[in-house]
Amino acid sequence: MEKILDKQQIDSWVAALSDWEVHAPVLEDGIWSYQPVSGAVRLDHPNTKQSPKEFAFPQREIFFSFEQIKGEAPRLTQVLPKTPHYAVFGVRPCDGRGVPRMDKVFTDHVDDPYYNARRKNVAYVGLACNKPPSPNCFCLSVGGSPVSTDGLDVQLTDMGDRYFVKAVTETGKAMMTAAGSLFAEPSASDKKQLKQTHAEAVEYPQRKINDPDGAPAKLEAQFDSPLWEEMARACIGCGICTFLCPTCHCFDINDEVQNKAPLKGERVRTWDNCQFPDFTMHSSGHNPRENTAARLRQRVNHKFQYFHKNFGIHQCTGCGRCVSECPVGIDIVTVVNKVTENVG
Amino acid sequence: MINIQDIRETARDMLAKGEVRAVIGYRRGSRGMLAEPAFITNPEQADELVWDPSCFHNLSLYLVEDRKFLAHLNKTSDAPIAIMAKGCDARSIVVLLQENYFKREDVYIIGVSCEGTGVVDERKLAPHLNGFQATDGAFDGDEFVFTTAEGEKRLPARDVMADRCLECRTPFPKENNVVFGEDKTGRELAEPFAALARFEAQDAGERWDFWEHHFDRCIRCFACRSVCPMCYCDECVVDSITFPVNAATTAEEKANRIRWIERSATRSENITYLMTRAMHLAGRCTDCGECERACPVNVPIRLLNNKMEREAREKFGFEPGASIGGPSLVASFLDSDPGDFIR
Amino acid sequence: MSDNIYLPQLARIAHVKEEVAGERSIKTFRVEPVDGELFDHQCGQCAMLSIFGRGESMISIASSPLIREYKQFSIMRVGRVSSAFHELEVGDVVGIRGPYGNNFPIDDWRGKNLVFIGGGCGLAPIWPVITTAVAQRDNFKNITVFYGGRSPRDIMYRAELDKLRDAADVHLSVDKAEEGWDSYCGFVPANVMDKAPSPSNAIAITCGPPIMIKFVIQNLREIGFTDDQIYTTIENKMKCGVGKCGRCNVGKDYVCVKGPVYSWAELKDLPEEY
Repeated sequence: MEKILDKQQIDSWVAALSDWEVHAPVLEDGIWSYQPVSGAVRLDHPNTKQSPKEFAFPQREIFFSFEQIKGEAPRLTQVLPKTPHYAVFGVRPCDGRGVPRMDKVFTDHVDDPYYNARRKNVAYVGLACNKPPSPNCFCLSVGGSPVSTDGLDVQLTDMGDRYFVKAVTETGKAMMTAAGSLFAEPSASDKKQLKQTHAEAVEYPQRKINDPDGAPAKLEAQFDSPLWEEMARACIGCGICTFLCPTCHCFDINDEVQNKAPLKGERVRTWDNCQFPDFTMHSSGHNPRENTAARLRQRVNHKFQYFHKNFGIHQCTGCGRCVSECPVGIDIVTVVNKVTENVG
Repeated sequence: MINIQDIRETARDMLAKGEVRAVIGYRRGSRGMLAEPAFITNPEQADELVWDPSCFHNLSLYLVEDRKFLAHLNKTSDAPIAIMAKGCDARSIVVLLQENYFKREDVYIIGVSCEGTGVVDERKLAPHLNGFQATDGAFDGDEFVFTTAEGEKRLPARDVMADRCLECRTPFPKENNVVFGEDKTGRELAEPFAALARFEAQDAGERWDFWEHHFDRCIRCFACRSVCPMCYCDECVVDSITFPVNAATTAEEKANRIRWIERSATRSENITYLMTRAMHLAGRCTDCGECERACPVNVPIRLLNNKMEREAREKFGFEPGASIGGPSLVASFLDSDPGDFIR
Repeated sequence: MSDNIYLPQLARIAHVKEEVAGERSIKTFRVEPVDGELFDHQCGQCAMLSIFGRGESMISIASSPLIREYKQFSIMRVGRVSSAFHELEVGDVVGIRGPYGNNFPIDDWRGKNLVFIGGGCGLAPIWPVITTAVAQRDNFKNITVFYGGRSPRDIMYRAELDKLRDAADVHLSVDKAEEGWDSYCGFVPANVMDKAPSPSNAIAITCGPPIMIKFVIQNLREIGFTDDQIYTTIENKMKCGVGKCGRCNVGKDYVCVKGPVYSWAELKDLPEEY
């Protein structure tokens, strides 16, 4: 389904999505973040500071609660999330491509019931990037494109005073049908303009990973390279790169106790970070990845080697957040290029 | 006006003579932000060093890292490390020296004066660059000069300077082995604690709303702690992700390792984390502002630290990092100290 | 079992035995389901045990899959959860979920000589293989068990090992000589070298401290064992058990799914991140 939506009408469309809780990028405290909106959707953001992964994979998820009176068996109460239907507007193509990657992690081998319960209620309304919103964009290097519809339910393309609106999935179609009268049929010139806009979008210069296809094998060969230590020299071991990443999925599970006797608490999943020292530390104190070099190597290899070997695609979608936001300038594009250059 | 060639020459010379193990300084990064930390051990690399308004990192953090690394290898320092330090950074080094984190002879301070300006705040700069990225930057008196694909952009420094620099009282690295640039201490760009004063003009309800809002926004990536040279504790009281375990650590110690707050980034846990950190920085924080700069979600962390700094200044006349031999705030008692809090 | 992979089943402690006392004490816990049945498992697989309010730990199942009524775990007191386990008494209720990981391919080893080499608490992960092989004694040729501890007080499964002598050659050792100890004195790899089990038609299975495993494998290869005749099990910190939480990987594989059992032929090519 392909339609034209007057830009003035986007608020009416949002209002017509009465079965959905609509979230869109809002500029507050100097950063763009997804927030619930009831109208007044302005899709003029570069990209949000945090990726939209939180809709299906929030930073904190309660698995179950437990209660225990001394001498009795504990009682567990499963807490499966009951979320509204989220319609997330303004998702950039790189973040859209994050969605199927997260889907793979949480449904491969066994299903994650918490992720699935949320994921089935989220629809992503994407916004094509007519030009790269960040100087550190590199989606074209990792099999993506500024006009990719991968992972999206609807794709919007900004055409000046109108959006070209394309349904990608059945859900997307239903969202458009919910406000059918707002949309017009695209004319031949609209279609021509879309083609032109998309053609120009992929021509804008981006950061470049020199040999993305060769990266898995080359990174494997470079596992013991002294470059890792050099590249990680400035790393401060914070969680910015992983927390902001649209595909970083690592998590921790802990018991949070609200009351000791009688025991009452929750088992909780929280985002975790492979750059924290204790992420892999054994109880014995032995740490298989004991320094920043090993931990940077892990993150880069996970994105460009391990995930590729397991699923046939790079885990990185080229959004550039980890590059732009690293407080000390560690740049995954440069790291991959440097480590893989001049390797067989 | 600092000529970067002089700094490069000094670095090259010291490395060539083996007087220092390494020079920690700034060089051009590969992404948008201009400068990044550089670790130079080879005299030939000295030409990589840069000095421009994007040199905001407080590199003294890496003196702490170096110390930890040596301790891990059971080694001691055989030669000093040289480090480029601005006024605030040099005061951080002084605090570390006061706390005996390392010895004065372990570090060779290459002082760089901000000469009446300071470093840029990327968030203030971005709107001036029309979506382009700066490829070069330079100091020029009261102006910063940036180069983008559109050409040269001259901006009044005070328009794009970090708040910490606008409010800075001591932009000259008094503690140094060698210093570049003039001492322009005394210039008033803004009142010290101006942001804090603005904040405190609000009533208690507004202030609480403000902090609730921001405490809820913290994602606990720990960038503020990680980037802070004063946050060097092996075992942080609020979270033990850095808890050091070795063969001698007992099961009891591990079972009882400090865990005052949960991993969840919820309001109560975030408050405990950020407030505890602020308290632990009282009398130690030199307002380098790196925590606030590193925060990806713009939590105004400086306000917390500033509050503690101003309390110390007003109640005890204390300036963090003023002199190596000076007393530390919480470990010293003077007859003149106010006693009203203890009654 | 619930289809929620993170929701543990309740299990009651039916029996507790202190194997080794002291700073690094080891206790063996037998757990039975509070309701219904526990899952079936294979030799070498693990389970996630929890004490509510303290957390979860991945522990290898030390009882034979042939035993359906209970599962047994030998836990060394090393950290937060294991210390809490050591406080438990018979009747206390814990959580259990699993089974996780791959298993020793014991069915492929029919008709072969089996050489087990364990050290410290590393006897527990291979114990189900030993006891299953002994229960199916006719399926295998010679069964040899090497096992060592730091001192006689660090020898776990003492009574069980004595009983095992009816069905297997058992070679015990302690690191340092001590009065009253009349078996081998020295490290486990040295004991293996000393007895030099024949590699012919044999499989060697080893588990113990990393440094012991390293030298055992080195010595086995010297004796003539090929890489695919040597099996071991590795551990990494785990949280989810199902390949999602992202921390136990060695290269592209998560140990909780693709491990913990590896032949040396497989393991030697992987990065040494364990």
